[in-house]
Amino acid sequence: MTNTRDDLAVEVSGLRRSYGSGKDAFEAVRGLDLAVERGTITALLGTNGAGKTSTLEVIEGLAPATGGEVRVLGLDPVADRRRVRRRTGVLLQRSGFAADLTVAETLRMWGSTVTSPRSVAESLALLDLEHRADVRVSGLSGGEQRRLDLACTLMGHPELVFLDEPSTGLDPESRRRVWRLVEDLRDGGATVLLTTHYLEEAERLSDRISIMDAGRVVREGTPAEIVEGHPSHIEFENVGATLPPLPGASVEVGHARTVISASELQPALTALLTWADAQQVTLPGLVARTATLESVFLSIADQGHADPGAPADATTDHDLEVAR
Amino acid sequence: MSTTTTGPATTGPAPSTPSATARVLGLARANLTLLLRNKLTAGYALVLPLLPLALLLVDRGNESLVLTSVSSALLMAFLFPVFYNLLSATVTRRDELVLKRMRTGEVSDVELLVSLALPGAGVAAVMTALAVPVSIALGAPVPTNPLLYVVLVVVGIVMFTAFAFWTAAWTRNAEAAQMTSFPVIFLAILGSIGAVLPERAARVVELTPGAAMESLIGIGWLGLDDDRTLSFAETWAAAAEPTLVMVAWAVLALVLAQRSMRWEPRH
Repeated sequence: MTNTRDDLAVEVSGLRRSYGSGKDAFEAVRGLDLAVERGTITALLGTNGAGKTSTLEVIEGLAPATGGEVRVLGLDPVADRRRVRRRTGVLLQRSGFAADLTVAETLRMWGSTVTSPRSVAESLALLDLEHRADVRVSGLSGGEQRRLDLACTLMGHPELVFLDEPSTGLDPESRRRVWRLVEDLRDGGATVLLTTHYLEEAERLSDRISIMDAGRVVREGTPAEIVEGHPSHIEFENVGATLPPLPGASVEVGHARTVISASELQPALTALLTWADAQQVTLPGLVARTATLESVFLSIADQGHADPGAPADATTDHDLEVAR
Repeated sequence: MSTTTTGPATTGPAPSTPSATARVLGLARANLTLLLRNKLTAGYALVLPLLPLALLLVDRGNESLVLTSVSSALLMAFLFPVFYNLLSATVTRRDELVLKRMRTGEVSDVELLVSLALPGAGVAAVMTALAVPVSIALGAPVPTNPLLYVVLVVVGIVMFTAFAFWTAAWTRNAEAAQMTSFPVIFLAILGSIGAVLPERAARVVELTPGAAMESLIGIGWLGLDDDRTLSFAETWAAAAEPTLVMVAWAVLALVLAQRSMRWEPRH
């Protein structure tokens, strides 16, 4: 990667990351390419062991790459560590703070190491932790610890923020507050690269999504582009009648339910309902839905599981949770 | 959550980056708070180094008692506030992923390690400094060469700090530190049994840090080298060998620590 693009906050080319050596060697990231535009929110999705955290750790400069090239804000995250860190904020998937310091003491300590930090009061207000300022970290709930972690991440007004599963452990209300905060970051001009195992989170927040499987990006684009071309589904309980031909659709009659996959939902559904009306057939439990990020993701995950070379436990990525 | 501005600081005054010293002091202040908040650790750090000096009350002015009690006081200062406290803090913060978290920020690895070591080192420096007037008040003579005492304290703190980081590297968790600390503790106290060993074994023991410490106190504080009384000037030459032994151990400990440092728990 000889020429870096000014409009990109993160450029990754041919990234490889291996664990162990010899017979036990395992390649968690296998030639990954990724470009994150400035001022956008990009979500990195993947199944358990897809390599999301392994990738993020290399981009953050916390772990060495085995191969490939990484540029963060046009700089090498390892060689230019000090310059990169001044401009970035990192939220790890799992991390900790000293249990016997209070929230305010923790923020004061973190602030003492940060360029032009927010004040402790401002950081407390940002994550709704004012009422917990004098509570020791050991006395915080998991969600409050996550918010403290996020307050530290944002203390130096970073222009590029890495969030590894930012809303894990948060209750639904706090999760939505964090979403607003992430959107505010982007609206304020910052770039956000996040991983998540909540598809709803990715769909709601992201300008672009990259789906990883077995250490590579297998699909990327805007949420709309990701689902484009994937079939819609119509489902109902078996009715014991032969269905008519439906435009652009295939029918699969299962043990209890009939599933119709259609390239276009509306014509297939119209034809089905017209037929049912004419035949006076009731379609019990009828559900019709367009392709979603969830369905696309699950189809990719199914393909990945069929791949015997796919890694199962290379990283500490959690199981992906489908938000329903 | 509030409506506080969340974007990057693109306007306003030029960014003010804290100096390395400011970063280290900011982190060290938090580490000192943690040390003092743990009553057992704080008690060990602040009381144990002065306890051996009570021996001086038994026979005021007895030079061999001064040697034993001051050496023991220094050993306690090196082993508790420096070695064991730092070993325990490093392992605990590594296991709780605090070190990993800190490394995502602007602080460098060296700054992080110095800030971890600084509170224990500071307490040890204060306690060893306090040991001087307390010992004199309890009948010990005024040190012949106080500079040698200072050298001994500085090299001792560096050595036991490095040993703590090295030991932490192969200590699985905070509980295991009770066992893994033993080799260094044994090395440190070995010097005190040299006098009762056969000559050849005693010669080997003289090369341990504990023995070198005791020699330096005998030379630097009491002005004695094998019962020969030394002048201030003569103490420098007499102190060369034990000082070299101490420095060699400190360098070895630093190399071991530098090669084995672990930032994350083993899986």
